[in-house]
Amino acid sequence: MATPNYTVLIIEDEKNISDFMSKALKSNGYRVITALSGKAGLSLISSQCPDIILLDLGLPDIEGNDIITAVRSWTSCPIIVVSARTGERDKVTALDLGADDYITKPFGTPEMLARIRASLRHSNRMESNSALYIRPYQCQGLVLDFDKRMLTLNGDEIHLTQIEYKIVAFLARNSGKVMTYSAIMSNVWGPFTGDNNRILRVNMANIRRKIEQNPSQPRFLFTEVGVGYRMREDENEL
Amino acid sequence: MLATATGLAFIFFHFVKDNTANIALIYILALILIARWTTGYLYGIFSSLFCVVFINGCFTYPFFEINFSMTGYPITFVCMLIITITTSAMTTKLTRQDEMIAERERKLNEAEKERIRANLLRAVSHDLRTPLTSIIGSSASYIENHDELDPDEKLSLIASIHDDSNWLLNMVENLLSVTRIQSDGHTVAKEPELVEEVVSEAIDRLKKRLPGASIHVTAPDEMLMIPMDFLLIEQVLINLLENALVHSGSPRADLIITNDGGAVTFHIIDHGKGIDASALPDIFSGKYDSSPASDTRRGMGIGLSICRTIVQAHGGIITAQNHEDGAEFAFSLPALETVQQQMKTN
Repeated sequence: MATPNYTVLIIEDEKNISDFMSKALKSNGYRVITALSGKAGLSLISSQCPDIILLDLGLPDIEGNDIITAVRSWTSCPIIVVSARTGERDKVTALDLGADDYITKPFGTPEMLARIRASLRHSNRMESNSALYIRPYQCQGLVLDFDKRMLTLNGDEIHLTQIEYKIVAFLARNSGKVMTYSAIMSNVWGPFTGDNNRILRVNMANIRRKIEQNPSQPRFLFTEVGVGYRMREDENEL
Repeated sequence: MLATATGLAFIFFHFVKDNTANIALIYILALILIARWTTGYLYGIFSSLFCVVFINGCFTYPFFEINFSMTGYPITFVCMLIITITTSAMTTKLTRQDEMIAERERKLNEAEKERIRANLLRAVSHDLRTPLTSIIGSSASYIENHDELDPDEKLSLIASIHDDSNWLLNMVENLLSVTRIQSDGHTVAKEPELVEEVVSEAIDRLKKRLPGASIHVTAPDEMLMIPMDFLLIEQVLINLLENALVHSGSPRADLIITNDGGAVTFHIIDHGKGIDASALPDIFSGKYDSSPASDTRRGMGIGLSICRTIVQAHGGIITAQNHEDGAEFAFSLPALETVQQQMKTN
């Protein structure tokens, strides 16, 4: 169950969708404020200081991406982008500009809540204790010990190459959140790696073969089409 | 043209004396060609007059004098005029007919396209209207009677709204996917993609809609990368798997992926009632379920025809057949290369 008293700002011009989102959030213990336009949203962000922002990309007055840039210039408050399907490019742009995650319309309540939880957790962790970083990632028998650099599945050690370990560790630290190809690549191979994500995808396929029973029905490592990868949320912190 | 003919005639005249017949023939030939290549009678008549005057003036005795009173000359004149006019008339008619035929063909083509579009639209609106009717009906009866309904009834009304809207969503996504195919019907933007990623995405999305779905995937262990449009192939997989799970009454669906080196084939096998033999030949044409006789609104008619369009746009083949225990759909996509499980990069 989510911790209550977090304030969520919904910037969405469709009243019906905004209503349905705020109902679901309120019944899960969040405080909700809504804005029907980008301008109203921006002023609410500075006056109300929400803990998390849900931002629709297709607003009538201001480009969603401009809002992200504006907000990112002064706060690290997590932003979850709400976008239509098939807009892979928009999602990647939004994520690269500093959005934390995205949900694709149409989405269900559980999905929305899970994304909000994951983003809130990561933003808290950054601000407060870094000790959480050291705590192992744990999910359905898969344990990643960042100290020992060791990955185990149901107690059996899984051998990863250097690169593979770096990828898994990066995804596990950000578990539950989508990580774009470019974010993973620059974290693992360093900046200036170029745009070709082929090598990353081949590595991912190899990792999947090591930790998934059936790579076609993964339990831990999910593909986000055209955007990046997402690792299943850490069970410790649910 | 006339100048060429005159030139030729001069050469002729120079070499062969007293050969008016041949010169006249050359002019006639020129006239016929002029009539063929120009439109309307005017050019023809004008050039025939020109010819007559010229022949008379240049090639008949007395040279370089216009003299119409020569024996038999009026006959030549009249003959040439008649020949020109009739050829002109004939060729003009011919040109017009050609144009008319081309025009008619274009119209027929357009009508055919229009017909296909209209059929698709009709089928789509039929398929969209049914779930919408049920959504509007269910929600209206909830709003009007919410005091008298017991919780179970309320739940079932909402559940049917939920089902129908999910179905509508799939329909809309199918239609949207068609817009990703270029208008000429056989080009898509292809990128090499990992087969397992497409399959897992497709199953993931299908399971959101059908949480109880039991899908068993068998794939070769090697890493398969084939050029495709991810979203389109995902849509094909979703359509075929949903078909196998929902329409056949099969408890589970098997997805078997095989690789023969040149192509990767996806077999979607169900263990249900199979396909009606009479429907098999037409199953991908989109006519299958959109006929008015069909009362099943969860018809896969459009879904299957979209599958075929997508697979063909990828240069692949899609087939449907029955096996002893249900139906099997298979589609193959040409492979660009097989990325082997090689790689050590540090």
